[in-house]
Amino acid sequence: MTPLSHYLIFSALLFSIGLSGAIMRRNVLVVLMCLELMLTGANVALVAFSRAQGLEGVPVYDAQVLALFVMAIAAAEVAVGLALIVAMFRARRGVESTSLTSLKD
Amino acid sequence: MLIWLILIPVIASALIGFLHTPGRATALVSSLLTSLLGIGSIVALSLGADGECLTHIGDLPIALTLYLPLSKPMLLLTVLVTLAAVLGLKAPDAAAERSWSISTLLISAGATGAFLADNVVAFFAFHELALIPTFVMIGMYGRGERRTIAWRMTLYLGLASMVLLAGLLLLYMQMGTTRFLEMRVMAAMGRMPVSTCLTAGLLLVGFGTLVSLFPFHSWAAPAYASAPTPIAMMHAGVLKKFGLYGLILVTCIFGPSCDEFFGCWTNLLLLLLLGNVLWVGCVTIAQSRLDTMLGNSSVMHMGYIFLGIAAFVTSGATNALAYQGAGMLMLAHGLSIALLFLLSGQIERRTGTLEFCALGGLAHKQPLLGFFFGLAGLASIGLPLLANFVGEFSIFVSCFTGWEPGATSPSFCCGWLNSLAKMLGGLGPVQLTLVFALWGLVISAIYMLRAIRRIFAGAPTAVCERATLPLSFAEICSAALLSAVLLLLGIAPGILA
Amino acid sequence: MMQNLPWLFLVLPLAAAAVDWLLLARSPRAAAGVSIASALVTLALCIAYLCGMQTGAPAAYAWFPAQGFDLNLGLLMDALSMKMMLVVTGIGALVHIFSLGYMKGDPSNLSRYFAGLSIFMFSMSCIVLADSLVLTFIGWEMVGFSSYLLIGHWYHKDAAADAAKKAFITNRVGDFGFLIGILLTLGIFGSLHYADMAGHMKVAAGSPVLTAAMLCLFCGAVGKSAQFPLHVWLPDAMEGPTPVSALIHAATMVAAGVYMLVRLQVSMGLDAFTDTACCVIAGIGAITALLSALMAAQQDDIKRVLAYSTLSQLGYMIMAVGLLAGEAAMFHLYTHAWFKALLFLAAGAIIVRCHHEQYIWNMGGLRKKMPLTVLCFLSGTCALVAVPGFSGFFSKESILEAAWERSLPLFILGIIVAAFTTFYMVRLCLVAFCGKARTHEAEQAHEPGFTMLAPLFVLAILSIISGYGFVADQLVPYAEFHAESAEWSATLFAGLGALIVGGGLAWLIYGRPASLAAKSDPLGANRFSRVLRQRLYIDAFYDRVLVGGVQYWFSCLVSCVDDGIIRRLIGQGLGLLTAWAGHLLGRIQDGSLRGYTMMTALGVLILMLILIILF
Repeated sequence: MTPLSHYLIFSALLFSIGLSGAIMRRNVLVVLMCLELMLTGANVALVAFSRAQGLEGVPVYDAQVLALFVMAIAAAEVAVGLALIVAMFRARRGVESTSLTSLKD
Repeated sequence: MLIWLILIPVIASALIGFLHTPGRATALVSSLLTSLLGIGSIVALSLGADGECLTHIGDLPIALTLYLPLSKPMLLLTVLVTLAAVLGLKAPDAAAERSWSISTLLISAGATGAFLADNVVAFFAFHELALIPTFVMIGMYGRGERRTIAWRMTLYLGLASMVLLAGLLLLYMQMGTTRFLEMRVMAAMGRMPVSTCLTAGLLLVGFGTLVSLFPFHSWAAPAYASAPTPIAMMHAGVLKKFGLYGLILVTCIFGPSCDEFFGCWTNLLLLLLLGNVLWVGCVTIAQSRLDTMLGNSSVMHMGYIFLGIAAFVTSGATNALAYQGAGMLMLAHGLSIALLFLLSGQIERRTGTLEFCALGGLAHKQPLLGFFFGLAGLASIGLPLLANFVGEFSIFVSCFTGWEPGATSPSFCCGWLNSLAKMLGGLGPVQLTLVFALWGLVISAIYMLRAIRRIFAGAPTAVCERATLPLSFAEICSAALLSAVLLLLGIAPGILA
Repeated sequence: MMQNLPWLFLVLPLAAAAVDWLLLARSPRAAAGVSIASALVTLALCIAYLCGMQTGAPAAYAWFPAQGFDLNLGLLMDALSMKMMLVVTGIGALVHIFSLGYMKGDPSNLSRYFAGLSIFMFSMSCIVLADSLVLTFIGWEMVGFSSYLLIGHWYHKDAAADAAKKAFITNRVGDFGFLIGILLTLGIFGSLHYADMAGHMKVAAGSPVLTAAMLCLFCGAVGKSAQFPLHVWLPDAMEGPTPVSALIHAATMVAAGVYMLVRLQVSMGLDAFTDTACCVIAGIGAITALLSALMAAQQDDIKRVLAYSTLSQLGYMIMAVGLLAGEAAMFHLYTHAWFKALLFLAAGAIIVRCHHEQYIWNMGGLRKKMPLTVLCFLSGTCALVAVPGFSGFFSKESILEAAWERSLPLFILGIIVAAFTTFYMVRLCLVAFCGKARTHEAEQAHEPGFTMLAPLFVLAILSIISGYGFVADQLVPYAEFHAESAEWSATLFAGLGALIVGGGLAWLIYGRPASLAAKSDPLGANRFSRVLRQRLYIDAFYDRVLVGGVQYWFSCLVSCVDDGIIRRLIGQGLGLLTAWAGHLLGRIQDGSLRGYTMMTALGVLILMLILIILF
């Protein structure tokens, strides 16, 4: 059986890739995808923990339910986020996050 | 029961704010109800009513009690001044009347909550609630540079509250409970905060700034001068006493060890209160407008109450005369300064000015106004038969009750102070401070009598010649209410004890 | 119940004042009736007590109870206080009645006037009957207030309003010392009650703290009894109605300082008055007596002459207190009260009949116009200048004798003052009463009505007989008083000499026909006279240097520093600090989404590192 730490390392890698993408990329579309990546990383950790905490092959379902929740919310988030990006593209002809400074100026 | 003292004004202000009921009338009903309820519960408790039903309000964080020292006189002060402020309220238009009424009621609710709170959280939170309307009202309806004044006041009081919060949190963390009565038990068992000096310092600076302790007093006089009359009455008369109340509360919590708790800060307090009495007294003499003069005089009189607190602290919370004197003076000063601000508002409404040089001979046209102003002014400078004298005189006497000539050898930092103290039989710091602070009697007589002389005596000036609008019934009632209480407490102060 | 009867001395006048003020503000006649009734009842009560009525000790009033140290107010009913009460209520009642005539037709609010008189009666009774320094101090402040109220009765006159303010503030300066003295007394004797003082002194006799305490207490007397250097308020106080001047500023209130000091001597014992303290007290008294006799010699206002004369006589009394002759001081206080009240009331009658003319060089020839009044005035004058046989003669003799026994310089000063006293009184009488009327108003003067004459007669009789043993032994406010019959002694010769020299000098200068017709003082151009008319420049010094200079500039300076430095430094400083911190932290919040995310991530990272390191 694969030890828990492998899953966790995988999940941390996914999360870090997502985070660095979210921080470094300017394109909001890519940032959104990176956010999904981070959520996925968290989900992997949740599922891994649910297996590891389970007794005699029966996982703890609480964590899996939480993972399902996250997926549902992520879907909703993508819908809203994409809508926002489309609106932004229409208004500004670009989806660069650095151009979002109208509140500051 | 006590919770209604807070709920009634809050409900009334909600009614005024959301349902647009007539501002002054609703406020009047609310303050009448709270006055009856407040005085009733004080009387009930004095007559030995069941204390439990008065204190118990479930498990809410706003548990209220009348068992704390000075809660009763402060509650009395709050309900009386609120009633007078609402009675004498006269706003320029209906919208202003609504917002003035709401603010007055909210300040009164906050002050009541702070004075009756039995734990640190409610104590602090209610005071902050009461402060907010003050800022808003000065910013919106103030006179002169209202924005600057409101901001300065916000800055001073906001920072003071921050310092105070830090002090209160330290107190809470080290005593392990938020309730004052439990803190007293803990202190009696010998529990003392670890960082005493820091806690006491933070509390002193925090409370002190809220009471305009020298040199943190610059916010007070302009704010009172600028604020609309009811707000000035509520803040100078009631809300300002919060800091003094807090200091006395802390002193009572530590009981016999309070001297150790305040430690070296007591001497600093003595020095600073001289700043209040003498320095601010001189500033008061130099004022050329009635409203700023009254504001400064209120700052000056705080010095005497601080002196009473200092005498109380140095005696290890055993000097009952100092404690009762300070309580009496807090009550009396609140009533008299509220009355003075009320009358100054009425003078301005009739003459359109508060500059001394433009006023004169007003007593010809307004003899009744002159009577009330004379009574309030003389009360504030400590004339016997009026309440302030009782407070001031007991504080003076209390400074000397534990003293015996030659008992201690004085050690002050300067040589001439030492020789003066030695010549007077070995005075301690409190006694020596009192000797200097007594000059305040002369200072206060100078500015108050000059104000009466300039405004009411002499030949009538042009503006006073036109001031023929008589006092309305409500205005007379509101001034008479405060005057009557001042007289009653001056002649029979024992009813408070 | 009966034992609390003496409280009526305080309650009645206070109630009368309250009724006058609050209920009868619009009906002056009823107000006057209430006040007069209260004065008469207290007088009757006082006479009843002096005739031997016994009701037992009145209960003390627990005024402000505090656990451990209660402030109680009680009444002390001994010979000193009850006989003093007779002086107060007696003159009070007469002045109340006289006021009816004097204030008739006055446009001002008479209810306020009579309320003021009643408040004064209340406050003075507080001082006289007080059993502790607490009640004394309450009365002390209240007489100051009633004096303020009554001096400023005609408040529309600038002079009256200013004089009232000056009187109150000057008294407050004295009270500053008085309060320190009271508190030191509390420390030294452990109590403020007169009854508990004797024998409880906690310091050695003659120790400096005792001197300090006595001098501080004396400060109170300096203010209230208008001694140098706080004497300036009394002459100005003459702006008030004349009956008020008679009652408050001549007979009773200004004597409160003397009464208080004698009360302290009686209750503390004479060894509480250290040598230094006695020297200062007697010296101040003598200086006041001399300076004010000098100033009185060149005043042109009839009331001001009498005012300076009061100052001078008070100086005598204070000197006697300093010489530890409390008996002589109280004897003079008692005779002076009658004859000075008489002089003031007679002067008031003259003023009112001369259409409020007070300038003596506008009078003249009054002895023919209003002979009865002038006769009364003359009997008061004889008592004041100590003509043998009149009351003032006996009391002044006893003071001079005390001085002769204890201090020669003070005795000589006393004789000089006596000579000046005769000089200014003879001058006043010659100018105002002899010769011909100088103005139309004086020409039209005529005898006043019954309400004014009756009190004058009573006082005139008292100012003649009150010095004789058979009256004085009964009435002088002192326990066990015995008037001594005059003997041919050095003091008597010196006193008579002063009388003749002073009177003769005045006769030579003002008795000449040219002077009797003059419209102003023939000595007026003299440089010395100018200095005296300017009140030795003491008032000017106070006005210009202390009030206009030191107080004004100092308070302006303090105010500027307060506004310019303290407010700037703390108020503005806090503002700038907040603004600067805001700018600094505002840079972080630059609006860039990536920046925020980065910071969040970094924060999480740092927190995680801390957690890993710690646990």
